[in-house]
Amino acid sequence: MVSVENERMTLQTDKPNWQRCLGLPLVLSVVILVGGTTVDVHAQDDAIQNEVGVAGVVSSFDEPTQSQKFEQPSGADLLKAMSLTSKAFRSAAKKIEPAMVTIESYGGVGAKSGRIGGIRNQGEGNTTGIMISPDGYILTSTFNFIQSPPVITVITSDGVKRYADLLGRDDTRKICLLKVKDVTDMPVPEMVDEAEVAVGQWAVSLGVGYGDTSPAMSMGIVSAKNRIGGRAIQTDANISPANYGGPLIDIKGRMIGICVPMNPQSQAVGAGVEWYDSGIGFAVPIANAKKLINRLKSGERILPAFLGIESTSNPEGKGLFIVRVVQKTAAEEAGLLREDVLLEVAGEEVNDLLRLRQILNKFESGQTIELKFRRSESEKVEKVELKLGVAPLPEGEEAQLEPPKIR
Amino acid sequence: MKLFSIGLLLLGFALLLPAGLSAQEQPSFIQATIDAAQPKIAKVYGAGVGRVEGFATGIIISADGQILTSQGVFLDGRQVKVVLADGSEHLATIMKRDRTAQLAILKIQAETPKFFELSTDPVGEKGDWVIAICNSFKVADKEEPVSATLGVISLRTSIEARLNKRDVAYKGELVLIDAITSNPGAAGGAVLTADGKLVGLVGKIINSSETNTRLNYAVPSSRLVQFVEGKVDPIADAKPVVQSQQADLGVILFKFGGRSNPAYVDRVVRGSPAATSKVKTDDMIVSLDGNKIGSVRDYARVLETLRPDEEVLMIVKRGVEMVRISITPRKKK
Repeated sequence: MVSVENERMTLQTDKPNWQRCLGLPLVLSVVILVGGTTVDVHAQDDAIQNEVGVAGVVSSFDEPTQSQKFEQPSGADLLKAMSLTSKAFRSAAKKIEPAMVTIESYGGVGAKSGRIGGIRNQGEGNTTGIMISPDGYILTSTFNFIQSPPVITVITSDGVKRYADLLGRDDTRKICLLKVKDVTDMPVPEMVDEAEVAVGQWAVSLGVGYGDTSPAMSMGIVSAKNRIGGRAIQTDANISPANYGGPLIDIKGRMIGICVPMNPQSQAVGAGVEWYDSGIGFAVPIANAKKLINRLKSGERILPAFLGIESTSNPEGKGLFIVRVVQKTAAEEAGLLREDVLLEVAGEEVNDLLRLRQILNKFESGQTIELKFRRSESEKVEKVELKLGVAPLPEGEEAQLEPPKIR
Repeated sequence: MKLFSIGLLLLGFALLLPAGLSAQEQPSFIQATIDAAQPKIAKVYGAGVGRVEGFATGIIISADGQILTSQGVFLDGRQVKVVLADGSEHLATIMKRDRTAQLAILKIQAETPKFFELSTDPVGEKGDWVIAICNSFKVADKEEPVSATLGVISLRTSIEARLNKRDVAYKGELVLIDAITSNPGAAGGAVLTADGKLVGLVGKIINSSETNTRLNYAVPSSRLVQFVEGKVDPIADAKPVVQSQQADLGVILFKFGGRSNPAYVDRVVRGSPAATSKVKTDDMIVSLDGNKIGSVRDYARVLETLRPDEEVLMIVKRGVEMVRISITPRKKK
């Protein structure tokens, strides 16, 4: 199991700490092996570490196959171990709470009408954001700003309400940037590098969307990495409008990513909301997103890539048979025609629509990619470079809220 | 997912047991908790109306057959049937039901030696593991044990929630959990700590007013005690907002035609409290008397609660500034 391998590696990198814990007769670390899930609760929080002294379930992870190495735990020990994970969840949450903010918007937050996902009307309650710099930049989910409200205020963890500006937004990651002025020493979260995140490790989602100042917590594990064109980490912790814009954290209180609604089949604003609280949730990691954040600071809007072809699998072999080229799109500008057969996109073969979507998900509008295609009458394979565009909006429509149906 | 997790947990704990001793011979304490809870859980069947389900779960709270469940239309039918864990069927009488508390007590003519103790103190805090035991989608029939799902307590909170506008808004304390219990038939089920203490009763399906999403929650045990002992005061509980409807500020808002538009000041009546406090045209009211004003509708709602001659704080957005204004309403003419 890959997940266990990864986790073991994580444990080994932690070894000095781990061994130190083992060396202390009273302060024993507790590790619960839950299928692919491994928790290590050790040495992160002094309070916990003291508590850990009461329980002792210790095992070696170097040779996990030798089950006789596990000491036999009693039911009471296991109960204590469980309550220790609860303490760990709480202390992890406490660590990041100062960096969480409550966002209030005034007037026209949600969609004007219609359903978004499974929700009849989007709620108009407060939403969650996360302070990412001491000088007042805040990241949140675009779900909280389907329309641009005239006034946004932000309540920081010190209880102060401040006026905030909406800067850039990245519709491929469903995140946007806010800024509060005249602050210098806002608390920021510790972030964990995506490479350090392992499938199967604990993940806790937090958000203030239910209206209480204390965030609601949901626990789960990291279900998968590298989702949605490599932009998202998947979790089975509950993700919903109550925590879109809030952090997904690890057991040490470090931020794994920002909770957002997502659906690999669609990049519409509301896509993914239909999966709220379902065990399928996404968070966008931003530990290495300095460049992206700079673009958002400058007010840039990043849009999903749109090619502009309707196609079916080629009945005569490889490639995608183009049924229609949409007017005023990248495909039309690049000179693609109906009945052309698309063979490669960005160096990867495309034989079905899902593959095409998968490839396009890795790009954003404005980026240049190379296509290989075969013109219908000739047998010659042609190459063309094109600049990816944006999906044209149907006349009169503001934003596409419902994800399109998958055929 | 949480159903799956519990399997994994059991598997995990089973792995920790020494070789040769199967989990069956020495059940883990979660398994023991679930096993101990099942005889205290009842399947309740009543009348279904239209798309509203006619079934629920109940918890046994006394040795003489009292069963606590969620209030609902399923209790309105000709008869209410209760099926105990051993598969025995009993007709129930409704001893008590309350729309405000959203709870009901049923009574069957049977001995029920195993029952839940209700605690007056809060059981469980945020992050604690909980097991929800309820008959979601009436998956279990007759003597089959009902479904157990694992989660943690998300938050203990008082938040406004309702299914639709006709419903009484539930305003008491709720224990939000992250195990999914907002399913037909789950209402009336038990939410337990890992060691089997009753956190509360799974409530009926309601939506959060803030997010418009379904809430997974338990009505806390302490509140159940109040209901059982007849101490729920429906008036104090519903916290009705006193509407004086007599206050006037002299502010006339822009009418764009939608009630969810922001509260922009169109005109300030000469000589009115707003004029005295220097409210200006084009100010946007964002807060009044401590309440967030997100829309014209919010403003109207809060204005009705103000009393003449009692000074309140108004916050307006003027340009890019947030301006705090003390304002004293006058009596409406």
